[in-house]
Amino acid sequence: MAGSALRRLMAEYKQLTLNPPEGILAGPVDEENFFEWEALITGPEGTCFEGGVFPAKLTFPPDYPLSPPKMQFTCDMFHPNIYSDGRVCISILHAPGDDPMGYESSAERWSPVQSVEKILLSVVSMLAEPNDESGANVDAAKMWRESREEFNNITEKLVRKTLGIPC
Amino acid sequence: MKFIGISFVSFSLTAVVLANAYYQKKQFYPSVVYITKSNPSMAVMYIQAFIGVWILGKLMRKVFFGQLRTTEFEHLMERSWYAITETCLAFTVFRDDFTPKFVALFTLLLFLKSFHWLAEDRVDFMERSPMIGWLFHIRVLSLLLLLGALDSHFIIHAFHSTITKGASVQLVFGFEYAVLITVVVNIGIKYALHSVDLHSETPWDNKAVFLLYTELVMGFIKVILYVAFVAIMVRIYTLPLFAFRPMYYTIRDFKKAFSDVILSRRAIHNMNTLYPDATPEELLATDNVCIICREEMATACKKLPCNHIFHTSCLRSWFQRQQTCPTCRLNILRAPTPPTNNNVQGAQPPNAPLPPNGPNQFFNMFAAPNQFFNNQVNPGVNVGAVPPPNAQAPGAEPAPAFGPGPAQPGAVPPPPPAAFAAPFGFPTHAFPIPFPMPFMAPPPMPPTNLAALSEEELRNLEGHERRHVEARIQCLRNIQTLLDAAVQMMQQYSVASSVSSVGREPPASGSAPPAGNGGSSSDSVPNNPSAAANENAGETPSADQPPEDSASGETASVLPEKSPKSNNSDLLSEASSTSAEEEIRRRRLQRFLLQEQEQQQN
Ligand SMILES: [Zn+2]
Ligand SMILES: [Zn+2]
Repeated sequence: MAGSALRRLMAEYKQLTLNPPEGILAGPVDEENFFEWEALITGPEGTCFEGGVFPAKLTFPPDYPLSPPKMQFTCDMFHPNIYSDGRVCISILHAPGDDPMGYESSAERWSPVQSVEKILLSVVSMLAEPNDESGANVDAAKMWRESREEFNNITEKLVRKTLGIPC
Repeated sequence: MKFIGISFVSFSLTAVVLANAYYQKKQFYPSVVYITKSNPSMAVMYIQAFIGVWILGKLMRKVFFGQLRTTEFEHLMERSWYAITETCLAFTVFRDDFTPKFVALFTLLLFLKSFHWLAEDRVDFMERSPMIGWLFHIRVLSLLLLLGALDSHFIIHAFHSTITKGASVQLVFGFEYAVLITVVVNIGIKYALHSVDLHSETPWDNKAVFLLYTELVMGFIKVILYVAFVAIMVRIYTLPLFAFRPMYYTIRDFKKAFSDVILSRRAIHNMNTLYPDATPEELLATDNVCIICREEMATACKKLPCNHIFHTSCLRSWFQRQQTCPTCRLNILRAPTPPTNNNVQGAQPPNAPLPPNGPNQFFNMFAAPNQFFNNQVNPGVNVGAVPPPNAQAPGAEPAPAFGPGPAQPGAVPPPPPAAFAAPFGFPTHAFPIPFPMPFMAPPPMPPTNLAALSEEELRNLEGHERRHVEARIQCLRNIQTLLDAAVQMMQQYSVASSVSSVGREPPASGSAPPAGNGGSSSDSVPNNPSAAANENAGETPSADQPPEDSASGETASVLPEKSPKSNNSDLLSEASSTSAEEEIRRRRLQRFLLQEQEQQQN
């Protein structure tokens, strides 16, 4: 019998392949190692990320699902809740008690109830509605608050870039 | 490519040096002497030796590991960097006997160390891959045997050298190889555990415990080794700075292993004593999937006070990290003691819709203070007086909050307005209705004029015995719970009112008064739980079976844990609607729907 973390990841992979949520693709990079996944997220409709396809990688700890995975976009991103190196900063990815931003309530934190699918859905809604209290990318947060126009211009370029269209 | 180029250059240089020496001296021994006497020749030979080690390393890596994974490679690079720095530090201590042999020994040590690291990573990888073939086993086993043999050889060599020739740099090697052999043993045990687990048909629950204890014992041996080494080094040479970083990490790991073992033991203890095993009926009543591992639950399951059921082993490993229910985040350390709870539950069929579990829990909580009040000692009299909003709502139904003060036993909750009951479709009786709480007599009021009491009477009022203190703490906890509950009620009330105004534009029967209006005015209270449960339905699977008392217990218990800063307040603040906010609200509703759908899929 494989380890429990591996079995759960395989179950989640199966579930995601059988019932893929709309606009989200995810799976192990290499079927020999289920602890490194890559995901493709399409920008939610009606937002400035609409039309983009954003690749990200998920790294699972050996004790998954007791600890949350890490998620990092592998394309350029400009968003208040995404660090400039692509790391995603949302509450669902933090275990209670570790609160880098000091603004999250424990109800939204990681627990084994969460899953890859829920993480990705949260990321989609994060793209749609940034939480500008988070300081993951201060410039983006400021721009999102103060000059939405400029923000939209930047994200439009990112969207074009992910699609391979020259700006 | 670069590497091939470098080795080619190195090989040709060596060939030139050798040929030149032989050409000049014509005989073997004179040539050797010539080369050792000439610095440039020696430099070339050193470089050649280094390249040779490198090639051997590549070869061994190919044989024992095949292709390295990216993480393994990164790990190797990072650790090598530290190891090289430490080796340089070690050179400063032994600068007197700095010879080629000495450098060669250190290089060999580094070389072997890197294979230990790789073996460690590779065995850890066993848990991550579904595909472990026979080649993997052969490689790991032969590598472990080889490393073990080499380590013991060098330990014995160092020991003999120290015994016969006195303390020298061999001390360091002996100690380093001793640490490495503990690493080999540790990897070997891990490998054995993983292999047994891989070949067993059923999940092996105790593996985690074995791993923990292995970690603890090995950590302890390593700490002893390091301490002994530092002590010896300080006596003979100087402070071995180069050993400090690994020693620090060893001690840290040992400390972590130690606390892990303690946490694990506590979790197991709690598991065995505090929580009842889930009965087959209870398993059937739920959807029968453990939310931690997403597998079916058949046997060895535990039920928490909040009625959520998990595998014993899954729960145990979770409790090592956090003492909360994974589903509803009920803090199980703060939860009412289950033994009493069980008795209460045992007295009723588990699915009986009434009376709900929530009040029972409250009953348990108040049991202690009641005794306490009977003792005529009551600093906690405020428990009874908690709901001031209640008093300020004349003409309202009595006792909407948990306050026992004016509660009328058997008071019937007012029928909820249809506007609230209808959209959610939940039977209202499924929620913890706080009204019928006949269990609490109003506590005796303290004498109003404290000055009139004598010193003795005051002292009696205070109480110094253990039970007094316990009762006082209990009382404070109850106050906290009540306050949490009140806050929660207010929030849910505001959510309910804002949700209703979103759903159907003007709220029917003016049931959405402005927020912050002391939320617990009576007619709102029965509605709130349904709104809360509706919310929870999005988060917790078992709340999907509304008419069960588990749903109500959960609602009651989840209340204090939810933060005041969730979307509730957002929803409220958007009451004045502009078009942008309309848009956000639409999306948020969509998200709720999405979450619910997803829940149903699960
Ligand atoms: Zn389980
Ligand atoms: Zn629970």
